[in-house]
Amino acid sequence: MAASVLAVVLVLDAAAHDLMAQSAFGGPRPDSQVGGIVGWLLSRQSEFYRQMSATIRAARSDGTAVWTLLAISFAYGIFHAAGPGHGKAVISSYLVANQETARRGIALSFASALMQSLVAVAIVAVCAWLLNATAKTMCGAEKAIEIASYGLIAAFGARLVWTKGGGFIGALQTPGAVAATHSHDHGHDHDHGHGQDHHHDHVHDELCGHSHGPEPAELAGPRGWQRGLSAILTVGIRPCSGAILVLVFALAQGLFWAGIAATFVMGLGTAITVAIIAVVAVSARDLARRLSAARDGGGALVMRRIEFAAAGLVLLFGLGLLLGYLAAERATCL
Amino acid sequence: MNNALRRLVGLVLLAGSLVLGAGTAQAHPHVWITAMSELIYASDGSITGVRHAWTFDDMYSTFALQGIESKIKGAYTREEFSPLAQTNVESLQEFGFFTFARADGKRQNFEQPVDYFLDYKDTMLTLHFTLPLKAPVKSKQLVVQVYDPEFFIDFKFADDDPVALVSAPAGCQMQFLRPNDGAANAQKLGEGNFANGDNSNFGALFANKIMVECP
Repeated sequence: MAASVLAVVLVLDAAAHDLMAQSAFGGPRPDSQVGGIVGWLLSRQSEFYRQMSATIRAARSDGTAVWTLLAISFAYGIFHAAGPGHGKAVISSYLVANQETARRGIALSFASALMQSLVAVAIVAVCAWLLNATAKTMCGAEKAIEIASYGLIAAFGARLVWTKGGGFIGALQTPGAVAATHSHDHGHDHDHGHGQDHHHDHVHDELCGHSHGPEPAELAGPRGWQRGLSAILTVGIRPCSGAILVLVFALAQGLFWAGIAATFVMGLGTAITVAIIAVVAVSARDLARRLSAARDGGGALVMRRIEFAAAGLVLLFGLGLLLGYLAAERATCL
Repeated sequence: MNNALRRLVGLVLLAGSLVLGAGTAQAHPHVWITAMSELIYASDGSITGVRHAWTFDDMYSTFALQGIESKIKGAYTREEFSPLAQTNVESLQEFGFFTFARADGKRQNFEQPVDYFLDYKDTMLTLHFTLPLKAPVKSKQLVVQVYDPEFFIDFKFADDDPVALVSAPAGCQMQFLRPNDGAANAQKLGEGNFANGDNSNFGALFANKIMVECP
């Protein structure tokens, strides 16, 4: 609960700062210093990040500095992911839309962070270490991956909307009884793609009044990882610009391995924060389910609506990034 | 029941703001630039352009040097740097050179950079370039801001001689405000005069502001 309160405060704080920034040139200008939690996070991140280059340099002559580097990288990872970013928004929305468990949310967070680290190391190992390519080339690779990742988010969102849309429309048509089809619906969304309408009525009769949610066994079923894999790919394919800078810097100092270690530790820190946010999102959804369950029959409709909205958010998010309406952390190209 | 509904609305709002919050680009800086800038005036008292010298931080300098060949290891000639300098100024165009000028409240546009080159000293890379104004302008009030709206780059002006006026008419007063100088000074010069919506963004909170008042 404390974590969710923190999350709410964080978001409100960010929103407040956005509003203040908006009015900065219109009305009386607020103090230029960015305060609050977001400001604090930003300054911590900057501090940790700036210490990295000095620590890597120090590690050339003093091996123990590597431990300092790892500690800084870990802290940086935690703070870096606490700021707004598209990765956790996509993961959280996916978890809400797809009725995933908190445990799966944690697994997804760690797997996607690991993949992000791997991609960063791969880019620098191939471009800089093997090919001795210039920063311009690396930046080109980053940009290409960036576009691919936005496209993937949009496609992923579109697929979620498509499958969730079926459940939502079904819930609208049969407001009294949909809760019962819950679990069935879900399993078939993924196994048979768009065939769910057909199966829907059929099992509706069989399962009426049985379960209100997907069986845990069903979620953790053999198809579970296949489903999760697309989420991991979608979020993890895009490396963090900061990791690439650190890796290239470490390579230039002849300490590529230290850079690689720092990148993975950074990913570990990121994963912890994203996992916390994912658990908050899942808990919020479960709370909504409990609250709405009290309503006569309409509860399922509410849940379908939330799932559908979350699916829509993933799609909008992908499109927004792809079309440039939303800006994510940009690639290091100057 | 109403209570439950209210809480649900709250949750939906939370979900929405989570994603919206994620959408606004509140990156933290990855690149630090120590800047020195000169405002260049013509003999008739109009400003013709801005000359920048931007020194990149250690890490970014090393990143930018990746794959750049030099005859002597660790030392680079201006010729060896020229493709990189070319890349730099071309990339900067996408961001409006992070330089935003207004003369008497009217936005001024810049031409392609001229006289650009890089030098390398104490593991730091410095990019020198001059931004000519599309049309030289005479104005009572001139505001030049240097910042990255997305705050990917943190611009900090040099401690000593951050800004200079070159052959400005006598009687012109220059004031330079760092991002953390607070609002008090900005109000003095009449912030409202420069009010315009399109600068409203996160990075603007970190803007460096050069203000010149001429008689």
